[in-house]
Amino acid sequence: MTDEELMQAICNGDQDAYQTVVKQHLKSISHYAFRILDDQRETEDITQEAFLKLWINAEKWQPEKAKLSTWLHRITHNLCIDYLRKHRNIQTQENVEEENEKRTDWRDSHADGEEERLQELRLKTAVNSLPENQRSALMLCHYSGFSNKEAAVIMNISVKALESAIARAKRSLRKQLSDANSAQSEEKA
Amino acid sequence: MMTIEDFTHFIEIYGADPNRWPIDSNKSIKGFLLDNTSAKKVLAEYQELEQRMDSYGVPEFRGLEQKVLKQALPPQRSSLLAQLLNWIIPKEASNKQLWRPAVAACLPLMFGIVLGNYYSFGIDTVIDEYDYWEGEFAFLALSDYSEGMINE
Repeated sequence: MTDEELMQAICNGDQDAYQTVVKQHLKSISHYAFRILDDQRETEDITQEAFLKLWINAEKWQPEKAKLSTWLHRITHNLCIDYLRKHRNIQTQENVEEENEKRTDWRDSHADGEEERLQELRLKTAVNSLPENQRSALMLCHYSGFSNKEAAVIMNISVKALESAIARAKRSLRKQLSDANSAQSEEKA
Repeated sequence: MMTIEDFTHFIEIYGADPNRWPIDSNKSIKGFLLDNTSAKKVLAEYQELEQRMDSYGVPEFRGLEQKVLKQALPPQRSSLLAQLLNWIIPKEASNKQLWRPAVAACLPLMFGIVLGNYYSFGIDTVIDEYDYWEGEFAFLALSDYSEGMINE
């Protein structure tokens, strides 16, 4: 069945079609939400809400304007951004605690010589320090594999703005990671 | 002419994987890379960065699929037109609701009658008696009766 046929069936209240769509897109949607929110519980809530919105608003999808995956990612993106904006204060407080935990982990892993874990932790910290729009642009283009044009549609910005956000994000990541590596080399020396 | 800054910006935007580069600029980028050591270095740096980015793991969401599928699905939101059509002709139609399509069919007729009663749409059905006879007299005055009298 094509996306159009599946969505038509969902519009007619077909729960089997809904099940098929959920199975097809669950992984990409949950991964995208997790990379934006960096919280497993919130990711699950947002993923559930995104599919609920797909069910309720199935009739609003216009196949000539966007692919189903693009539309679904847009729903998820908006939910994640709304969540981050609503919980920004709480998030900041949690972030501080989380950062402390991460630093402790970082030291532990450093002591154990787990280089890979350390690198991943550094990367996560660097990615999470990026502004919201840069992080979303990076996640959509690098991890979710969307083209720049599709990512711009999901984020509801121009292609130029998206490209500028990706370029800034990569420059910033490159700098942060190379600084962290230099610091580690100095520590070793 | 492409510069190393243009090349770096291109790699930042489209990534270090040549498979993701736009077809129209693929040839020129590969040509620039061919004998440019700085460009090769930039590409290698971004390839390394992207490899590191791939290490960003995502946990396994056990049971999420079941959670999504088991959540109660609320009624779907349809367009105004669909809602109206559903009201006029309900999916589970019963004899008690027959008045709805009947009303829907009568409404345009009643609307036409009311509209026709109030507006003439440029068709003047009332003849002004005075204007009518005025015209008739004017035509009569033009007739030449003298010819008829001579023949008699």
